[in-house]
Amino acid sequence: MTEKPVQEEKRVFMTGNEVCAWAAAAAQAEIMYGYPITPQNEIMHYWTRLAPKYNRDFLQTEDELSAGFTTAGGIMAGKRAFTATSGPGNILMQEPFSMAEAMRLPTVAIIQQRGGPSTATVIYSQQEVTMTSLGGNGEGLRIVYSTATHQELFDYTIKAFNTAWKYRFPTFVLADGYQAKMRESLKMYDPEAKGIKMVSTEPYVGKEGVPGVDRDPGHFRNTYNVEEELYEVLEQYIEDYDKMAPEVAEYEEIGSQDADVVVISHGVVSRAAKGAVQELQKQGYKVGYFRPITIRPLPVNEIRDIANSAKKVMVVESANGQLDRLIKEKVYGCNAEMIPFFKPGVGITTEEVESRLKELF
Amino acid sequence: MGKPWKIVLAGEGGQGVQSVAGILADAANDQGREALYIPNFGVEQRGGVSVAYLQIGDEPVGAPKFQTADIIIALSDRAVTRTTRYTGPDTVFVYDSGIENLKDEDLPTGVKKILAIPALDAAKRELHPRVFNVIIMGAVIKATGVVPEEKAKEALEKKLGYKFEQKPELRDMNFKAIERGAELVAEAL
Repeated sequence: MTEKPVQEEKRVFMTGNEVCAWAAAAAQAEIMYGYPITPQNEIMHYWTRLAPKYNRDFLQTEDELSAGFTTAGGIMAGKRAFTATSGPGNILMQEPFSMAEAMRLPTVAIIQQRGGPSTATVIYSQQEVTMTSLGGNGEGLRIVYSTATHQELFDYTIKAFNTAWKYRFPTFVLADGYQAKMRESLKMYDPEAKGIKMVSTEPYVGKEGVPGVDRDPGHFRNTYNVEEELYEVLEQYIEDYDKMAPEVAEYEEIGSQDADVVVISHGVVSRAAKGAVQELQKQGYKVGYFRPITIRPLPVNEIRDIANSAKKVMVVESANGQLDRLIKEKVYGCNAEMIPFFKPGVGITTEEVESRLKELF
Repeated sequence: MGKPWKIVLAGEGGQGVQSVAGILADAANDQGREALYIPNFGVEQRGGVSVAYLQIGDEPVGAPKFQTADIIIALSDRAVTRTTRYTGPDTVFVYDSGIENLKDEDLPTGVKKILAIPALDAAKRELHPRVFNVIIMGAVIKATGVVPEEKAKEALEKKLGYKFEQKPELRDMNFKAIERGAELVAEAL
């Protein structure tokens, strides 16, 4: 038995990519499959440093399609497997992620969003919201955690493995180039020491016994011959997903229930939104802050409550309305006026959110 | 204590602004303070202006980038033009007095203070061109007080200790560079 990567809780100061590698190691991930792309590269680099020390594995594939499918394969073999990518790599991985949805494979992927469309920038964006939540030729039966701090990158990377293996839906940690490359402090810990039990894994194939005699046969299909057969399966999946949604939906809020104007944001942009709201609250403005941590599934009831109690809801994001579309779908019929503040592919500062908010009063 | 210090360091690729920001962030963190350091890492990094955004305070830092810096250190003509957008009425703008081709109209207006320090010259004539960025680090420390000089030296030791072991005179030179940077700012203030 090799020693645990993180023994005692300790304060560290590192980049987000390094945090992800440590978190995966602490979560007892067994193998990472990956293909290099900026700004995700260092997750792989740090993982390859940690893996030999803690008896874990790594496979660099020939491209992201392969990295996604090998992740799926590793999971079918019962391994707690993960991958990480960004931008064009995320596009290529949509096919394997779709298969993971079809076969209920608990893939875990860390997405470090970069600018788009296409190669665009290697720097930063929040433009992979739609693709990560709803990509593929399916129904978006996925869980997407959007982190805002290095502490959350650590916490939610660990959590992603458990959510994925508990509910058997592809699970994503959605961060961005800023979070990938910036350095700030956080506390690393051994999940078990905090009472977090890692959900056990099991192989999908190669199990003991004769299928249909000693055990149920495994039907892991991504191909169907007739429409009704597919429909029946999807009905069950969607029912499972809807039942799960309120159990996994998470959010953070400050004074959003009794505010005239509420800012909704996610990920690293919520740091600017939070700073702006706290500053304006001090100045006496009736302004609130709401941030879905799961952007899929969304915390629907809370969002609808806000959209009914607030006069205005401003959605702030480093994309041209990708979060906004997800929110609007949920607030259909609510009263609040929806105000956009979109800066696709570029960072948003506290000062900008603050001055935009003031204009709304 | 309230808001963190917002620092922008900018220079040509290879001038070492990212190392300075990284070491200062480490020093602040070692001291138990909250720091957030983010480099720009686009294509500019390979042959353009390199910008480091650094925030140091006592509470967890908010957004990683910001609109207005408390202090800007610009080390080339292009760095000066690139960073004027981060100035405001409370910004201290520091630039190297040895920058060639810099016209007066390139410098920002309406800032709290503009300081010209001869860091490049001091590095070349008194120490070594390679410790230019360490002189800059000393200047930042003096101008902001974000970390004590001793902590910066410890962080430097951590990062370059293996080199210092082989060549102890490097340690002296780096430590002198911090002190010299602090002096240059003190003289300019």
